[in-house]
Amino acid sequence: MGQSALSKPLSAEEFERLHLRQHQWAQIRRTFTQLLSHLLILLVGLFFLIPFLWMLITSFKSDRDVFRTPPTWLPYDNVTVKIQGQELLLYHVQIEGETKELALLKVAEGLGDFVDPQNPEMVYSQVRMRFAEPILKVGLRWRNYIDAMSRATRPGLGVNFWTYFKNSLIIAFFTIIGTLLSNSPVAYAFARINFPGRQAFFIFVLATMMLPYQVTMIPLYLFFNETLHWGDSFLPLIVPAFFANAYDVFLLRQFFKTIPEELADAARVDGASELDIFLRIMLPLSVPVLATVTVFTFLYAWNDFQGPLLYLTSPQNFTMSLGLQDFKGQRIVAWNLLMAASVVFTVPIIIAFFFAQRTFIQGIKLTGLKE
Amino acid sequence: MQKMDSVVSQSHGKPVRWSKKTRHNFWLGMAFLAPWSIGFLLFTMYPMGASLIYSFSEYHLRAPLKWIGLTNYINLFQDKLFYTALGNTAYMVVIGVPLTLLLSFFCAILLNLKVPGQSIYRVIYYLPSIVPTIASTMLWLWILNPSSGLMNTLLGLFGIQGPNWLKDPLWAKPSLILLALWGMGGTIIIYLSGLQDVPLSLIEAAQLDGASWWQRLIHITIPMVSPITLFNLITGVIGMFQYFAQAYVFGNTAGSIGSPLNSTLFYSVYLYQTGFLFLKMGYASAMAWILFFIILGCTILLFRVSNRYTYYSG
Repeated sequence: MGQSALSKPLSAEEFERLHLRQHQWAQIRRTFTQLLSHLLILLVGLFFLIPFLWMLITSFKSDRDVFRTPPTWLPYDNVTVKIQGQELLLYHVQIEGETKELALLKVAEGLGDFVDPQNPEMVYSQVRMRFAEPILKVGLRWRNYIDAMSRATRPGLGVNFWTYFKNSLIIAFFTIIGTLLSNSPVAYAFARINFPGRQAFFIFVLATMMLPYQVTMIPLYLFFNETLHWGDSFLPLIVPAFFANAYDVFLLRQFFKTIPEELADAARVDGASELDIFLRIMLPLSVPVLATVTVFTFLYAWNDFQGPLLYLTSPQNFTMSLGLQDFKGQRIVAWNLLMAASVVFTVPIIIAFFFAQRTFIQGIKLTGLKE
Repeated sequence: MQKMDSVVSQSHGKPVRWSKKTRHNFWLGMAFLAPWSIGFLLFTMYPMGASLIYSFSEYHLRAPLKWIGLTNYINLFQDKLFYTALGNTAYMVVIGVPLTLLLSFFCAILLNLKVPGQSIYRVIYYLPSIVPTIASTMLWLWILNPSSGLMNTLLGLFGIQGPNWLKDPLWAKPSLILLALWGMGGTIIIYLSGLQDVPLSLIEAAQLDGASWWQRLIHITIPMVSPITLFNLITGVIGMFQYFAQAYVFGNTAGSIGSPLNSTLFYSVYLYQTGFLFLKMGYASAMAWILFFIILGCTILLFRVSNRYTYYSG
């Protein structure tokens, strides 16, 4: 390969050097582009990642920490001390020009009572709180999660975030059951039963996707609330799931069509009814797509805001979507607790994602594109 | 082929009679379809009819329906807030949706590069899209908080004085677009799967002919994913016309629905406000029907226009 007889022959050595240099150059260029693209991916990734981290960090911050300007990256927690079995917050208190490390006993109208941890007999009462600065250390304030979940933000009703969590779970569970039960027979009919008008019927079902829900929203609201008296219950949110919908019918039908017909034919020869074939052959073979439907229905029900906003009126029945608003006070928002509750709201979905990553991606593609 | 052996014309009454097998299949099909059919009649057909009637009526809750003809529609076209809502929505459709598509496509290209640790990056880009809508809205309200928020702090590091995202009517919609961009993971994944379906042979052939990366992008990749762009565009536009939850929470936190200064009063938000807060159910129904025709019109238009620009490999 070295000795090509061109007009200006290169010595073998020279050629080797040139070739090597070219090779190195290409190598460097490739490494550089690789590095650059990697950097770009990382940089754009920060846009997706940082808000996530910010949610977590905020959820571990103390109340005071949250409103610091500029905000701190790390969460700080109050330093506490145990005096006579009571957990008290430590403060740096300025008294007569001296800074003392004292524990707060109680506070009222800007005046606080402090006690010296070294000498519990020594109580300083009626100290102005503006002379007291809480002592903080870097730390995760797990207490926020307990507070966010169990603190009754609506006193007197016995309602807390656990109630909302439970309600969301109940609604999601029954919505999933309804969706699985109602959509699969419909999809089966479109995939396998050769009834007259099937094609037109199917197009008609798909066409209903075009209808924005705002068109049916008002009459449905009146129907559920005034006619059936289902207002302030989970029924308006759950019952429609038992009557199939175009998206899931489409998704399931696409999958059912990929299952070989021969299996069903063999069963037919053995005298199996269509219902037998559907239940004993089709469904067991369709576990992956049923999983996709389950995951996406869960996401939908867990996420839903407008449905609960319309139908659920008393806090006992709120879902998490509605309940998150509780952390918003008249003037200030308890951002640390709100973020802790948001994490709790998000975690089940993240868990579902990591267990069913494939199912997620498959579902997006199936609903999106594949014919 | 089933029609061939089953169609028998009769001289009187029914023109077509099905064979026994076809009849059997028909009833079998209807039985399996029952969940959808009943649901359609109860939860789509009936409400559609009712909604149409309401839209021609004056209807407040607990007061009898009063037929007023086209008055609702006429009033709508003279309603300033209707145009405000339409304008706000158009802003999101015209700016928000194309921006989301463009950046999703860009991210998909990044995620399609052969780089170590790519599967981790894919997860990072995707995860925000499955954070519950209200949780992510709250998170961004917190990030965009003008005084203790993360956004303006980070901008401050670069010497930029960040705007008052939540209270400035000029910045409210960009805030919501930012929130939408954070959650565009689903669109990215759809684009990514499209990029992976682009035949390698095409790209290699172009490479042999000396086409640069940019030329390959313009002449191969973008045409090959054009059906996906159309899909994302249509679903994006339809979704944006129904944009509600984020705007509702945003407005409520900034003050009241539509705050600041009606800059987040989107079509669906105004519809909700009209129907369920002002209890003008007839007027709201008229709005819903107009929305339906806007969406229908946009979809048809997009399909028409796209015919020229979309490539189907068949």
